[in-house]
Amino acid sequence: MRYDSDYVMCECPIESIKGFVEEIEKDYSIRVLKEPSVCLTMVRAEDSLEKQEFYLGEALTTECEVEVDGELGYGLCLGEEPVRGYCIAVLDAIIQSNIEDSRLSDFLDTQRSVVERREKEEYARTLKTRVDFKLMEED
Amino acid sequence: MGYVAIKGGEDAIENASRLTEYERVQSRSKVLEIEQIRTQLGALVDKIMGEGSLYAPEHAALALKQVQGCPLEGAFILRAYRATLNRSYYSQIVDTRNMRVTRRISSAFREMPGGQILGPTRDYSVRLLNTDLTTEDSEDIRSFLEEFDIPEDEFLEAQGSWSKVIDILIEQGMMQAVDDEEDQRVVDITREAIKFPAPRSAALQALARAETGGICSLAYSSMRGFGSAHPTIGELRVGYTRVTVKDRRGRMRCIGTIKVTEAEVISKVKQRKQDPVPYMTLGYGLCFGHNETKAICMGILDRSMRIDDEHPANSQEFVLYHTEGVESYGFTNHLKLPHYVTFQSGLDNLRKAMQRKEDKTQNGKEEKRKTYTVGTAEAEDVPELL
Repeated sequence: MRYDSDYVMCECPIESIKGFVEEIEKDYSIRVLKEPSVCLTMVRAEDSLEKQEFYLGEALTTECEVEVDGELGYGLCLGEEPVRGYCIAVLDAIIQSNIEDSRLSDFLDTQRSVVERREKEEYARTLKTRVDFKLMEED
Repeated sequence: MGYVAIKGGEDAIENASRLTEYERVQSRSKVLEIEQIRTQLGALVDKIMGEGSLYAPEHAALALKQVQGCPLEGAFILRAYRATLNRSYYSQIVDTRNMRVTRRISSAFREMPGGQILGPTRDYSVRLLNTDLTTEDSEDIRSFLEEFDIPEDEFLEAQGSWSKVIDILIEQGMMQAVDDEEDQRVVDITREAIKFPAPRSAALQALARAETGGICSLAYSSMRGFGSAHPTIGELRVGYTRVTVKDRRGRMRCIGTIKVTEAEVISKVKQRKQDPVPYMTLGYGLCFGHNETKAICMGILDRSMRIDDEHPANSQEFVLYHTEGVESYGFTNHLKLPHYVTFQSGLDNLRKAMQRKEDKTQNGKEEKRKTYTVGTAEAEDVPELL
């Protein structure tokens, strides 16, 4: 899915996800099992013809583990982002627990629109540079 | 060569370090914020992320601030920082066909599927110093952004995937693998010392973290004639690709996007006697950030190292060892550190050799003098000897 929950939670503004988790965390019993910390993700790639796999390099990653009302949640995102890592872990646990919380689905829908809007704007700007070169002899 | 450690000088070393820091701030100019470096010096940040082999834009910007903009030192610091962290995840193979493209061009096909998109580039700009920037202020920036703004009704649904130029050539059977018998193991050169001949995976990993200037220099040597790679850029694309990992539960999770540059460099396969068709093949370049020179040169060297020829760019060992920026920078700079004992020992040897030479010369003169004296003394008696 193009704008899946993980993608939206990683790409949405930090103030939005932080504000939302602060708003809902009082309604849940949250236990932090692993404080947000940085680690590395080795990025795998492959060439386009022979599909030769290789290691491109590592990406700084934040990971966090929580328990929300007995359900485990894992927060993972690129960069050193302890707040986002924690928020993703909390929201992941709620998503996994299948608890009906309309506030969460509303939040994700709103942020999905924010991310989508930003990318549509970026794409419109990018497409203004589309070019159709003419060969001199065509003139 | 033997090394002897030194001791002492702590105060001078500490003061030298503080003096370096003083040089950075002595002008009392505005404090350079990490965000400013990350965004306004993006090309430099991207370069050292690639060479530091760590995708971490904020940390790369911080490293650049710390080292006053020296890219080699910045990459060194990023590598050192990387060495302090655990590697907890391996991503799925990044899917560059589905990247969020901000630029894609081909010098092989004028009409490529989806069109040529110049994106942010200086390729067609005149390289003149823009003196207007000396007086640029936040009002100038605000007004530029306002003018560049796009009304919402012109926003476009982004294209999900972009088929590649080489996909067309693959479909038509025009592309061929270079060598089916090549070592196809996936090795990690950060965990396993590189041995030659190295598997292609090791070569690609080494090139992805190589120093941009180093690989540009060797790729250029190949293009100028010290090699037989005559490349055409099938496609060059820049954009954001998703990184997906398995979490501890085994679920696939997107953890964000990284900006990458990808170059697909097309050249001919060596014609075989049993099949004389001049098929095409691919040199592949992919690196962190927006660094087109690096991706293109990586593609050229990936191809040239697989050609059996005698030029520097054809030698895996020559290319991979000499384009490793942190190693070459480190070795060059170690020359500045004290080598007193080694050098003094060299001087001792030199003095002894000079003494031996002098002694020999003296002995020779003595011998000559003796001969001459003897000769003179005997000359009258034995003139027939002359």
